[in-house]
Amino acid sequence: MTLGYLVRRLLAVILVLFVVTFAVFAITMILPGNAAVMILGEYGTEEAVAAMERRLGLDRPWYIQYLDWIGGILRGDLGQSLRLSLPVADVVGDAFWNSASLAVTSLVSVTVIAIPLGVLAAIKRGTVADLVIGIFSYIGASMPEFVTATLLLIFLAGPALGLFPAGGFVSPGESLGGFSSHVVLPAATLGLILTAHISRQVRSEMSEVLSSDYIRAARLKGLRERRVIRRHALPNSLAPAVAVISLDIGYLLGGIIVVEEIFAWPGLGRLLIYALENRDLPVIQAITLVLATVYALSNLLSDIVIAILDPRVRYA
Amino acid sequence: MAGGNARGADSVTPVLEVSGYSLSYATPSGPVHALKNVDLRVTHGQTHGLVGESGSGKSSLAWAILRYLPENAIENDGRLLLSGENLRDRTHPQILEIRGRRISMVFQDPSTSLNPAMRLGEQLSEVLIRHRGLSLQEALEESEAALARTGIAKPGDMLRRYPHEASGGEKQRVVIATAFACNPELIVFDEPTTALDIITAQQILELFNQLQDETSISALYISHDLGLVSRVADVVSVINSGEIVESGPCAEVFRTPRNDYTKALLDAVPNPKQWLGVKEPPSEAPALMSAKGVTVEYGRQSLLGQLLAPKPTHLGAQEVSIEVRKGELVGLVGESGSGKSTMGKVLSGLQDFDGVVRFGDRDFARLAQIDRAYRRAVQIVFQHPDASLNPRQRVREILSRPLKLYDIVPREQRAERIARLLEQVRLPPEFADRLPHQLSGGEKQRVAIARAFAAEPELVICDEITASLDVSVQASVAELLVSLQRQTGTACLFITHDLNLVRQLAHRICVMQHGRLMDAFHRDDAEGPDRNPYTRALLKAVPPPASQAA
Repeated sequence: MTLGYLVRRLLAVILVLFVVTFAVFAITMILPGNAAVMILGEYGTEEAVAAMERRLGLDRPWYIQYLDWIGGILRGDLGQSLRLSLPVADVVGDAFWNSASLAVTSLVSVTVIAIPLGVLAAIKRGTVADLVIGIFSYIGASMPEFVTATLLLIFLAGPALGLFPAGGFVSPGESLGGFSSHVVLPAATLGLILTAHISRQVRSEMSEVLSSDYIRAARLKGLRERRVIRRHALPNSLAPAVAVISLDIGYLLGGIIVVEEIFAWPGLGRLLIYALENRDLPVIQAITLVLATVYALSNLLSDIVIAILDPRVRYA
Repeated sequence: MAGGNARGADSVTPVLEVSGYSLSYATPSGPVHALKNVDLRVTHGQTHGLVGESGSGKSSLAWAILRYLPENAIENDGRLLLSGENLRDRTHPQILEIRGRRISMVFQDPSTSLNPAMRLGEQLSEVLIRHRGLSLQEALEESEAALARTGIAKPGDMLRRYPHEASGGEKQRVVIATAFACNPELIVFDEPTTALDIITAQQILELFNQLQDETSISALYISHDLGLVSRVADVVSVINSGEIVESGPCAEVFRTPRNDYTKALLDAVPNPKQWLGVKEPPSEAPALMSAKGVTVEYGRQSLLGQLLAPKPTHLGAQEVSIEVRKGELVGLVGESGSGKSTMGKVLSGLQDFDGVVRFGDRDFARLAQIDRAYRRAVQIVFQHPDASLNPRQRVREILSRPLKLYDIVPREQRAERIARLLEQVRLPPEFADRLPHQLSGGEKQRVAIARAFAAEPELVICDEITASLDVSVQASVAELLVSLQRQTGTACLFITHDLNLVRQLAHRICVMQHGRLMDAFHRDDAEGPDRNPYTRALLKAVPPPASQAA
């Protein structure tokens, strides 16, 4: 991979994030009722609002406010939560790590399960195994996560089996066992649709690669099937799958909001809902920015992985 | 790859003997016969040419020999003997030991038969590791030597490249080196030069003959091109609808073909000495269309694109000037990437350009100026009728589109005009109700030609219109074009890579290379002394077939 390729991709990410900060800032400026009104409530007098605006610096021109806000972000100062009376960085930081532990668990298990499943379906195309995987994928892909979550809760956390806690969170640093038992149901909920999606993607890519000329050529060299699949077919079918996984991260970030609420997982999703209900603008801004950054960086990561898998991309 | 064969080297047992072999494919509408009672022998050190058109079963025979048949294949009778061993009795693991080691294959298109995500060195050395038990280091050293024998200048460097970093000829050399790597008894060549450029194909053919001399390998050389087979094969078999219709020493079959099908095939091979085209318009006739200094730059980017991922632009055409007179047929010849299709797109109003295109008495300086009148007067026929005919429209709708669009005939006369167009391209009137998939390749191309002529154009651009057709169909499509020209007086720009064909049709020939016009000459001067060296190289690469040489 050329350094130039990396630098260009990185510049693109920075540009995107810059646009995002601008959008986030603009939206919060456009929203009815500024922070001063929110703090004082709807019945604050005009003088009180004006005084509060001066105190918060809201009477300055918008670009000064924007530069001030950006400067704060670059220094790691995201402001003060309006409701929790805590620094936004602390509140969002804790929630971020909690969410990350859930998302990463989910994504890793999805990847580990979905890719072999897709490969298997492609190799066994037209057999019972392919059919079973196909049916499972259809069901998985067509169930919204609140339905999956409810079903999992009833069957696995209900009084009958009670295998897993119905909700709550234990940090992995505190007790790995506690974390594991708490993470299973939310991670499974998030992962089901993704597993279905990714395994179907891998299956179709793999099927296409398996019918290509170069796979035929590899087989006609007398190579053993294991080498044909692992060395010749897999790298070619994974590159498009990785692109899909990185798009799915966007889905994951949305799904996490619902799932955290259902399973009482104290992450970004729950915090975002709390902040929205309480019009805690600095927190909303910070979470939006964090989600956008995660999404942009995961896309960058997938571009790098794709470039490793497919040499043609590196110089494009 | 030097030295004799370990097995089956005695002169009695043929390396390959196919006897009484029949093959069919199970389909929902019953079995389709692919091969009927095929007999074919390749003796030691011999190159056996197998010639047939698409659907003749020539590829099925290759797959049968390599035991790589689809699941719906039904093998009926017959034997496939490799040095006396019946391959049909071998188990799958045994076949895996035979493939690549005792029989190997060279494929048609090196750009699809090499894995894009693997270095060329790994793809070559893996057969040595698999079949000769070499270590990676030994295999790479051996690969380098094998590649050197195929005439690659820096084989070590080539081994480290990926397929997209090598040219078509280099890639095919890697494929050939791979096929020769384990010194097999038999190599099956499946149209190994069809996907390559003219001059590269010629070099690969020379390489084949050189390796054949050095190693005296036995080869089954499959091709649709009789002329080409006559230059490599000792013995030739002609296959038609799954049956070998004629077989014998190459020179004999070409000189005195006995079978009618063979004769028809030989007749269809373009012969530059046999003029098919229309009478040449007088040389003082004014130009109908003249392009002056046309330049096309590909890969122009938006400002944002330039900032984020700047890519170099490249010139598809550079200062190209071409002129076509009324009623004339001008050939535009070049290899892939020469810019000949770019010019076709510019002149048919599909591609933006710099420079001037003069048509009649009007000048057009960029794409945006090309108007409806121009588009009616200049029609294009593309290479692949499959892609250029809408699969959901019946022939009637396809042909009525230009009639409606340019208001060629009043509504009530349309049906009559469609029937006449079909007649002009020699298709029965009931074809108007057919869908494209119900037609053969040649019939589809006739419909595409009829569509172009429906607009009553003054110039028709034919972009490789015969390239995807079988030899015998090619000839009839070319003839059809000429007869339409004769009837309508339409001028034609005939874009092709086939020099022999274009010399039968074109009054003047323009040669392009790397986006530039290299040469332009009258057909009588094709072999003249003032030809550009590139033109001469092209002409040398496609000698007329053996039977016509005399």
